[in-house]
Amino acid sequence: LKIRSPSLFLFSCWREILLHLETVRASNSYMSYPFLCISEEDDVQKMYEAELLFLESCLKVNPKSYGSWHHRGWVSARLPRPDWARELGLCDRCLSLDDRNFHCWDYRRMVVKMSGVPVDQELQFTDRLIGSNFSNYSSWHYRSTLLPLLHPESPDPPSPCHQHSHSSPPPSPQTHSHRVCEEQLLKEYELVQNAFFTDPNDQSAWFYYRWLLGRAEREEMISCVFVSREEERVAVAFSRPVNASSSGLMLVLDGQPQRVEWRSVHPHFRHSPVWVSFPSWSWPHLIVLLPSFKGRSESWCRDSATDQELFRSELSVEKTSVLQSELQSCNQLLELEPQNKWCLLTIVLLMRALDPLGYERETLSHFQTLKEVDSMRSAYYGDLCSKFMIENTILKMEYAEVRVFSLSDKNLTMLCHLDQLLLVTHINLSCNQLLRLPPQFAMLQCLEVLEADDNAIENLDGLYYLPKLQEVSLKNNQISKLSDLQLLTSCPKLTCLDLRGNPVTQIANIQSELTELLPSVTDLLI
Amino acid sequence: MGTQVKDVVIKSDAPSALLLDKHADYIAAYGSKKDDYEYTLSEYLRMSGIYWGLTVMDLMGQLTRMNQQEISDFIKSCQHDCGGVSASIGHDPHVLYTLSAVQILSLYDNVNVLDVDKVVEYVRGLQQEDGSFAGDKWGEIDTRFSFCAVATLALLGRLDAINVDKAVEFVLSCMNFDGGFGCRPGSESHAGQIYCCTGFLSIAGQLHQVNADLLGWWLCERQLPSGGLNGRPEKLPDVCYSWWVLASLKIIGRIHWIDKSKLRSFILACQDEETGGFADRPGDMVDPFHTLFGVAGLSLLGEGQIKDVNPVLCMPEDVLERLGLHPDLLS
Repeated sequence: LKIRSPSLFLFSCWREILLHLETVRASNSYMSYPFLCISEEDDVQKMYEAELLFLESCLKVNPKSYGSWHHRGWVSARLPRPDWARELGLCDRCLSLDDRNFHCWDYRRMVVKMSGVPVDQELQFTDRLIGSNFSNYSSWHYRSTLLPLLHPESPDPPSPCHQHSHSSPPPSPQTHSHRVCEEQLLKEYELVQNAFFTDPNDQSAWFYYRWLLGRAEREEMISCVFVSREEERVAVAFSRPVNASSSGLMLVLDGQPQRVEWRSVHPHFRHSPVWVSFPSWSWPHLIVLLPSFKGRSESWCRDSATDQELFRSELSVEKTSVLQSELQSCNQLLELEPQNKWCLLTIVLLMRALDPLGYERETLSHFQTLKEVDSMRSAYYGDLCSKFMIENTILKMEYAEVRVFSLSDKNLTMLCHLDQLLLVTHINLSCNQLLRLPPQFAMLQCLEVLEADDNAIENLDGLYYLPKLQEVSLKNNQISKLSDLQLLTSCPKLTCLDLRGNPVTQIANIQSELTELLPSVTDLLI
Repeated sequence: MGTQVKDVVIKSDAPSALLLDKHADYIAAYGSKKDDYEYTLSEYLRMSGIYWGLTVMDLMGQLTRMNQQEISDFIKSCQHDCGGVSASIGHDPHVLYTLSAVQILSLYDNVNVLDVDKVVEYVRGLQQEDGSFAGDKWGEIDTRFSFCAVATLALLGRLDAINVDKAVEFVLSCMNFDGGFGCRPGSESHAGQIYCCTGFLSIAGQLHQVNADLLGWWLCERQLPSGGLNGRPEKLPDVCYSWWVLASLKIIGRIHWIDKSKLRSFILACQDEETGGFADRPGDMVDPFHTLFGVAGLSLLGEGQIKDVNPVLCMPEDVLERLGLHPDLLS
């Protein structure tokens, strides 16, 4: 493929020649025809139009050459009188032969921009392509960029605490379907549904639909603050990863800003949702940081997960009713095509959008089916299901004691949303399929008791400087080397450690090695 | 009714064992016949060709079979006054070949064959006001060139020469509805561009901006029933995507979402048992490009006989260790 295309170098040479000719023609025209009306512009126009004709033949031979398309763009930009309608026509023809040619799509986008083609005209163009062709991912993609332009959601009033720090650029609007106004979004659901009902194996429509079901990224804000007099510590959880050490997180006490150093919970992360501080002020002066703090040894402040719409977008009455009927239709499709993984996954996503807790049982059953019909991706489905089960447990947390958290026996293959667990004192992860406690686990800054028996844990990276951690149970895991336990030395309050059923216990002299490594662990079970 | 899945079928007699010695012989002999037709036609990318050959030889522990002096002399004669490096002698400089040259010299621990300050100046001069990078003086903009720019500077320890924040802003503006990235803002997601952008964000320390779950899903859906990976929906599998897709997954911490054993079988089937080397798909003609990415893909899958490859820079990890370079990876 690379060999058959005219190389960049060839085009470079041509452009040098063309530029030279431009100037030669200009100077020649002036010198030879000072009183004639033939503009040198006409000569340049003719020269470049000939070039365009030549380029068209190049593109016929190889329509996928970066060099040819770039050169055509370069020529078009230098034409005194560009014919954008002709260029658009060229794109139409090229795309009718291959509507996945991204070079041509990119060229088209340039032509549209230069000539001011209206957005709704381009939207109609995608309608035509989608209506007539199956292989149309490129058209759906283009739609995703056009919709927010033509049907924007009304802009949110700027919130006072929403600041873009210079080190953290705003995310691309193309990733968030919420940037499209709801009325249009609902029409779009209908359009996509037609597509995947016509051909349930056309993956483009299913990918696009997932985007439509998606939600806005949360605004950057503080979601939880924890203060401990005992450890002389403040921990802050943000709604997304930030770099608090450089973006000016200020601790204000009784109206006085304090000089405070913040560190992320694990050295692995320069950007983290959770940050801890070691204030240098002396504690008797800490009177009121949080209204509830007076006289207590610790206090916290946390937004409700359900109120925050933590895991799904807000649903209006119209949207709820549309999604419910979509769910019904997809269920009907599933009856016709019980092995269609796109349909299964989409049903799960619809259920998550409508009622994550109410549909928990069906969700688990569908994931089981997904792992069977699409076994190559069973690890993906395992992780996605784990994520949803963790979300459900967090949502249920709203109605019970906030500080004890059980995830046992949930088939978990990974851990996530750990930034939501800043206040948890007891966590039960037993009887799952976890391979490790990742660095993010260090966000559990209040953890006192960890139960993680009967997993496949071989890595404890996340047990890093957990100041209140007293008891750790890791029975029947895959800890195999003494060095795997090295990090436990960073947890000053650790007194109980259960390592029974781990390969590491078979090492000679393990009892004495462990006593030497962890002298404060008085209750050691191997 | 409906679309058939585009894919290949692996024949039962396709190679299933790793033939590293044959591949080393193939690369060592490649280019020894300087008047070979295909070799001549690919002169316009010679610098990259050398990078592919040397890197795969190093991964196989066979770098010493290549002619370091000849290659260093060649590179020196390809650096232009502006500081940029061209693909071959007499060709024009470009950021693609500037990166390849710096990568080659890094393998040999000899970057000073080039005037490093001038290389840095050349790269700095390619950055545009919106943070993007042109490939050369003719102004083609592409996120591939953003990657080439930061990778070159990272290897030289000179990332401070450009406006990294602006460069990040441009790359993020190329993020699409599916979590992937294209050439320019508005361009469709493509595995090659995704590799370049995730690699870029890793070097720039901004991987947390990626929607890893969404992008990881799009990437793992590249795997077809044959076990091979394609570059975007409804395209045929190609062994080079074993690199672009797999490295991207490794960078965002989701490489386990691919069926590793099926992919391994596909990659091995792309070998040519007679000539050595890898082709884009089973039965096709081999070339050094696909040979590197087949071997590098196998390295990411944990192949014991191959050195560990760094997923961001596509160079042996031990070379980066020596340079003290540890680009971020998501866990």
